[in-house]
Amino acid sequence: MFLSRGFCLGTINAEVVGDLILVVSNNFEMLIIRLLRDRPMKHNFRYLILAVLLSGATATLAAEADAEKTAKPAASKTSSANKDWSWQPVATPQVPSVQQKKWVRSPIDAFVLAKLEESSVKPSAEASRAAFIRRATLDAWGLIPSTEEVNAFVNDKSPDAYEKLVDRLLSSPRYGERQARKWLDLARYADSTGFQGDQTRPSMWRYRDYVINSFNEDKPYDRFVKEQLAGDELYPGDTNALVATGFMAGFPDNKNSRDLIQRKYQITTDITDTVGTAILGTTFECARCHNHKADKISQKDYFALQAFFSNVSAVDNIPAPRGSIEARYEQDKAKWEEATKEIRAKRAAIIEPLRAAAEQYHKERYLSDSRDSIFKPKNEWNATDRWVHHRLANVTTDEDLGAYLRVSGESKENPEYVAENESKWLEYKKLTDDLKKFDKLKPAKGSNTISAMTELGYADAPSSFVFFGGNHERPLDEVQPAFPAALTSEKPQIIPTSISSGRRTALANWIASPQNPLTARVFVNRVWDQYFGTGIVRTVSDFGRAGDKPSNPELLEYLASNFVKQGWSVKKLHKEILLSSVYRQSSDYREDAYKADPENKLLAVFPRKRLDAEQIRDSLLVASGKLEDKVGGPSVMPPVPSNLNAGALWQVSGDKQDYNRRSLYVFTRRSVPYPLLATFDMASAQQVHSKRDVTTTPLQALALVNSDIVFEWSQSLAGKVISEAGGNETAQIEKLYQILFARSPDKAEKATLTAFLANHEKIIKAKLKDADGRLALAVPVGLKDTQQLDPVRASAFVDLVHTVANSNEFSYRF
Amino acid sequence: MSNNSRRDFLVKAGYGLGGITLSGLMPGGGIFATVANAASLVDPLAAKGTHFPAKVKSVIWLHMDGAPSTIDLYDYKPDLIKLAGQDIPASFLKGIKTSTQGGVGKLYASNRTWKQHGESGAWFSDLLPNLAKQADKLAFVKSSVTIGATHDISILKLNTGDLNPGRPSLGAWVQYALGSANPDLPAYVVLYAGKKEPTGGSVNWSSGFLPAVYQGTAFRPGSSPILHLERPELIAAAQQRDNLDLLKRLNEQRGALYPEDTELRARLNAYELAYRMESSAPEAVDLSKESDATKELYGLNDEITKDYGTNMLRARRLVERGVRFIQVVTGPLDISGDSRNWDAHQDLEKNHGAHAKAVDKPIAGLLADLESRGLLDSTLIVWTSEFGRTSYGQSGTGRDHNPWGYTQWLAGGGIKAGSTFGQTDEVGLQAVGDQTMDTYDLHATVLQLMGLDHLKTTFLHNGRSERPTVVYGQVIKELLA
Repeated sequence: MFLSRGFCLGTINAEVVGDLILVVSNNFEMLIIRLLRDRPMKHNFRYLILAVLLSGATATLAAEADAEKTAKPAASKTSSANKDWSWQPVATPQVPSVQQKKWVRSPIDAFVLAKLEESSVKPSAEASRAAFIRRATLDAWGLIPSTEEVNAFVNDKSPDAYEKLVDRLLSSPRYGERQARKWLDLARYADSTGFQGDQTRPSMWRYRDYVINSFNEDKPYDRFVKEQLAGDELYPGDTNALVATGFMAGFPDNKNSRDLIQRKYQITTDITDTVGTAILGTTFECARCHNHKADKISQKDYFALQAFFSNVSAVDNIPAPRGSIEARYEQDKAKWEEATKEIRAKRAAIIEPLRAAAEQYHKERYLSDSRDSIFKPKNEWNATDRWVHHRLANVTTDEDLGAYLRVSGESKENPEYVAENESKWLEYKKLTDDLKKFDKLKPAKGSNTISAMTELGYADAPSSFVFFGGNHERPLDEVQPAFPAALTSEKPQIIPTSISSGRRTALANWIASPQNPLTARVFVNRVWDQYFGTGIVRTVSDFGRAGDKPSNPELLEYLASNFVKQGWSVKKLHKEILLSSVYRQSSDYREDAYKADPENKLLAVFPRKRLDAEQIRDSLLVASGKLEDKVGGPSVMPPVPSNLNAGALWQVSGDKQDYNRRSLYVFTRRSVPYPLLATFDMASAQQVHSKRDVTTTPLQALALVNSDIVFEWSQSLAGKVISEAGGNETAQIEKLYQILFARSPDKAEKATLTAFLANHEKIIKAKLKDADGRLALAVPVGLKDTQQLDPVRASAFVDLVHTVANSNEFSYRF
Repeated sequence: MSNNSRRDFLVKAGYGLGGITLSGLMPGGGIFATVANAASLVDPLAAKGTHFPAKVKSVIWLHMDGAPSTIDLYDYKPDLIKLAGQDIPASFLKGIKTSTQGGVGKLYASNRTWKQHGESGAWFSDLLPNLAKQADKLAFVKSSVTIGATHDISILKLNTGDLNPGRPSLGAWVQYALGSANPDLPAYVVLYAGKKEPTGGSVNWSSGFLPAVYQGTAFRPGSSPILHLERPELIAAAQQRDNLDLLKRLNEQRGALYPEDTELRARLNAYELAYRMESSAPEAVDLSKESDATKELYGLNDEITKDYGTNMLRARRLVERGVRFIQVVTGPLDISGDSRNWDAHQDLEKNHGAHAKAVDKPIAGLLADLESRGLLDSTLIVWTSEFGRTSYGQSGTGRDHNPWGYTQWLAGGGIKAGSTFGQTDEVGLQAVGDQTMDTYDLHATVLQLMGLDHLKTTFLHNGRSERPTVVYGQVIKELLA
């Protein structure tokens, strides 16, 4: 991949080089730039540049002014004439007429073909059926198909074979699992809080399962969005809608923060920015410290948007409907409670009489503006005070109370010292150490509660202000919840509910409305990006001026308008793409297409793609026959390399079946990303992750070649191949290729592999000789009958399997 | 496909325009030269040029985790000693938010003796006798300021420039901007001591929104520093070599179908690099060939200094091997039966006694060793922490967090050795005067010494041209030689 300090303006690439900017036109032939202005900036910077293309054409690329200059237009724009393309209402474009009519299976094809014909490039031939099913299964499910599935499709002579395949793919729960992973990237999903403490959030998996189920049920996208932003307000009594607010509740948190006012601001900021980026594809967060420098979004607009969320609090103790997971959790917890009953009673006997003093001590250690709320009499509490008190109650633990005992009992030199607490502290400390010994009995996973983001039962909300430079200690004018002024003239209809401010309902209704110009466009573009590797708007999370313009605007309009027309059905959108001729094309290299369109923007060739981290791991599990195909439930911790040193933050699951679950069930610990996935560019859970990077590194190679886990999978795969193909090596190699690549090896490959086996056998024999009789061989596992096996040859075959699984073809989708 | 074509274009442009006119136009035209560098076509870590000539090749970032009390190490305050045991005069607290109800603790002085050292006359307490001998190599910043009341957010800010996770760490920016000078090793390495990773973990060496390839690689204690460096138990070296040769053949045979695909070719390269790393990484941290004198210099013969000394010596070896950014995090020590970092809320005497002892000789050894090997001029050493500690006491024997004025130092290439920048008030609580240094300024200064303009080191993220110093940061020119 190309990694340099570059940025993209429209369809033209620009590269910052010293004080100059290199601009590359879209036909990649010419450049030269004159820099008109480059001011050394204290603030974030951009440039006003004029590109003089060698062809003689000129193009002004992007205008940039500093904060003061954009302030005025940002504040005053409402007329639609000035709106950028993505802020215009979604149009329903005419399907273009094309010459190669036969190629058109769906309007999508017509839109793509029209552009190809304009450039006189022909689309590619159809991919083989086997290549197609591998591709479509990886895209829809996130893993490779079984050889049975491949054969069934390849041999299906019926006229609707493709349609049947796609319907089968979309009706499997694996579809929801794969699509959920994409959404969880945007929701910065994690099973822990992040920061130093990085505590487990034992109930977040319910939100993950909610997302999986929503895709599998084909929940309309507008409803999906509404539930996540305001499920508690809009659908009272609906447990699922409450779980959905986990989208907001996933904010990174440090429970030990002593500045609750700052914490509230950071949480609201996280939620606002997540919604803006993930759902609206707009960089609203740029306007937190200053008016937006590219888009017409003022600081006032930004804080007016934050105001919709000013009254939300995290509530983690809502009872979950009782199923087997909850029952199991309660059983386990009861065991721990029973075992520790006596110790806990003794601890309580010490701390309870001191509770008031201990709580007082704890409260006094918050920063002054937090303390203003903390020590205010309850009858004077406003909405901010209620938020602070709710937070305080949620983060104050037994350990905090114990801290007081320590301070007052440990050392005479401490001003808090109370002589009678000295023996109490010693006893308490001993009891605490004893209690820790029972931690093993605590439920390893799961919960019986729901983590939601909701309001505390009041209609009034904390006041919101514009903050100077984004600094919450410097409030300027008060703002009310409002939609960005330049984007819409619509005003929010805020109707308080019996339990909340009603603010988020107003926001959710506006975002999930067919009239919202961004919501549908941004989502269909993400789905397109998922299938074709590049969005129609390449900057998938920036539909603003600094982002790219759509490469095929009519196609984007068609997809967005049709999406809404079809009732926001995500499955219908996927189906139309999967069945299109564009998607069916072969990815084979074509010199003519490459010359005409080296970036493949026109899609004359199907673009190959490196698999995502989860696709690689899950496909290896499928290939080796080890995938544990269970949907949902608490996240799991498969083994990690022994030198990871993650301590208590990664306690390998006791249940071995957990080891081979799909990757989206692997516990997301914000400070300890699962190594095998992390090395292949998994999503960072700290912020919205808009698009997976593709990096190619030696650490990836080390992981796939040397990881004991991956190597064991190769041993299992070797065993599976031999079991299924029998003793004939040619048949084994054929089987291996069918499993991994859904194709037969060609002549050259067969020759290479056969020669390898012969030579490799010698190398292993030499090793055995050196090993002085101590037999050290990695052999295929899972074989029923090992009688006929030559262990040395079989060991060579394991290496062959492991190496073929490491080859490029496995980690790519063609 | 898209990436290749763009690269190809840039290569052609570089050649086509002769590189003469263009680089002639460019101040520090090095970057263009690297864009056209063939190596960068397949490797995101290929060495890249600087904005202007660099003063140093490597940075050693010594993070004292938990925040030492620098008024007990470097920032000598006779008035604090005089006023110890009294309430702090209100004037000193002006403008700060403290986290104690009903007033802060009494001013507190630990049991120190102070002396000036070297030609610069820099003050050191008795806690750092070895480092004091290196006084003239250091440039002190006695007016460091930052944000935060808790370690979490201030450590994040120290490493990434933000109070929330998500931004790249300084080392990631360096690796992104400069690439690797040694393809057999990661260019950004994290060293830590102790049984587990530093708290907060990889967030502190994260690539944030930069591609993951730029994150720091944690070198773990022990002989095999990188995950998955060792072959599976039953695979011999010759066996693996033969496997990799097969892999190469298979990838080449298949790759012929995609002649323009550099990404696939890069993957072929990555396996060869990985194979070399299997031996180069353990070799880089193998201290067995170091002389006895060197081991003694770093304190490897003393249980107290051995762990940190090992990391210091590893750091020097990594510098020798061209690693650009080495982030060393101090580990917790056993203090009165508890595992504790520098965070001395109580019993500062014992806490700092132990921690200072653990790092003093190793850091002094590192400075002396770098100098004697002629590496000090091309290496930058930064002694840093998330904040300092208060002049007023806490729990009678400790100190609370202080983001308003504390000491850090820099040493090595391009640094005005023996100098002091800024000062705190008479009791060492708040920075006073115009000369202060926030974390952003420190980042800007470090980048400057690496040959990078922090304003021009940019990455487009969600439509926003991001830089390491967010929207802040000034190079502290007074620190530069």
